[in-house]
Amino acid sequence: MSKGVLVIARNNKNIDYVKQAIFLAKNVSKYLNLPTSIITDNANYVTEHFDPTVFDKIISIEYDDAMNSRSFYDGGLASKSDNFKNSSRSVVYDLTPYDETLLLDSDFVINNDMFLKCFESNQDLLLYKDSCELSNTRNTKEFTYISDTGCEFYWATCVFFRKSSVNKIYFNLIKHIQDEWNHYRRLYQIQSNLFRNDFAFSIAIHIMNGFSKGNFFGEMPGKLIYITDQDILWEKQDDKMTFLVAKKDYLGEYYAISTKGTSVHVMNKFSLGRIIDEELLNEG
Amino acid sequence: MDERLEKALEFSNFMVTFNNQKRVLKEKYSQDLIYYYVGAQFTVTKELINFCYTLLSSDNTEAIILDDNDLPIQISNLQEFHTNILDIYFTASNEYFNKYVALKKHRSVQGLVEINV
Repeated sequence: MSKGVLVIARNNKNIDYVKQAIFLAKNVSKYLNLPTSIITDNANYVTEHFDPTVFDKIISIEYDDAMNSRSFYDGGLASKSDNFKNSSRSVVYDLTPYDETLLLDSDFVINNDMFLKCFESNQDLLLYKDSCELSNTRNTKEFTYISDTGCEFYWATCVFFRKSSVNKIYFNLIKHIQDEWNHYRRLYQIQSNLFRNDFAFSIAIHIMNGFSKGNFFGEMPGKLIYITDQDILWEKQDDKMTFLVAKKDYLGEYYAISTKGTSVHVMNKFSLGRIIDEELLNEG
Repeated sequence: MDERLEKALEFSNFMVTFNNQKRVLKEKYSQDLIYYYVGAQFTVTKELINFCYTLLSSDNTEAIILDDNDLPIQISNLQEFHTNILDIYFTASNEYFNKYVALKKHRSVQGLVEINV
């Protein structure tokens, strides 16, 4: 059975997801000793600006500029509005070159080998349900249920899946939900019209479980640890990272917090970009 | 600002950082307690360790135990399972203890954040 990590990178005007994917692939190689393949709509950019050998396979998809606009924050005081190109996650089942795939967001910083446990699991589909926000000051209700009256929330940030007939049905269902997003967001009473993969994956689980809770999927090992884009990744040295997490009700003020040997989903893509630039510079 | 309040707020800031760092250590500890056996995920708890010990004490060599997903898993070698979860518990707990002791020594926000744990 072939095993590997899959990452999607589709740049917009402000965020270089390909650079994040390069950084992720290096960490995957270091901590998990697994190959990483990239799905991108600009393969030329990968080969012309970076060392493409960090990737096992470069999988091209069609360039699509359909607008799905949202704000990207860089700490509490700065933000930019740009296109959120998140419509390709549903096709990963068809595009993955692996029998066992760990699908990761490009802004996930790996600092340990915890994800290797996924490949030991007897469940063919694993997602995170439980999460831990580093600042511990925000209301995380939005990461418990997809809406006040909706189903439970599951993260599409890290998904482990094996090729199986049932998983094929699941990913095809996600495509259908994405195609009919306006219908499903009303059905599940989601107020924002922004398409979010977390919601589509959660709704699909709810449907696959017979519109109830059940054992259609298993939970990823541990909790998903994250900072929001209103927090800042300040420094990274090997597996130690220092963050500035926003003080509640004090805009622009932060507490410092550090982690060591802990993998973290860094939603502040600008601060992650700065750290990656430093690392690439140090590598020469 | 009143000096008494200033001192209290300084300490308050220190405590927030201390509690945040402690929470990070606890999350790491929880991750370290995860054990996979025949593809099933078990979080090692004192209850699980004691339950296995009780079964072994009454001469059971195998058992059915629910995993983290509430699925029944056949433990065909209970002794080996018990030894492994005990090892995981001690390793994770010792690491948590050592890191917590190191954390507790620091009396400044900078020290708490710069400590290499």
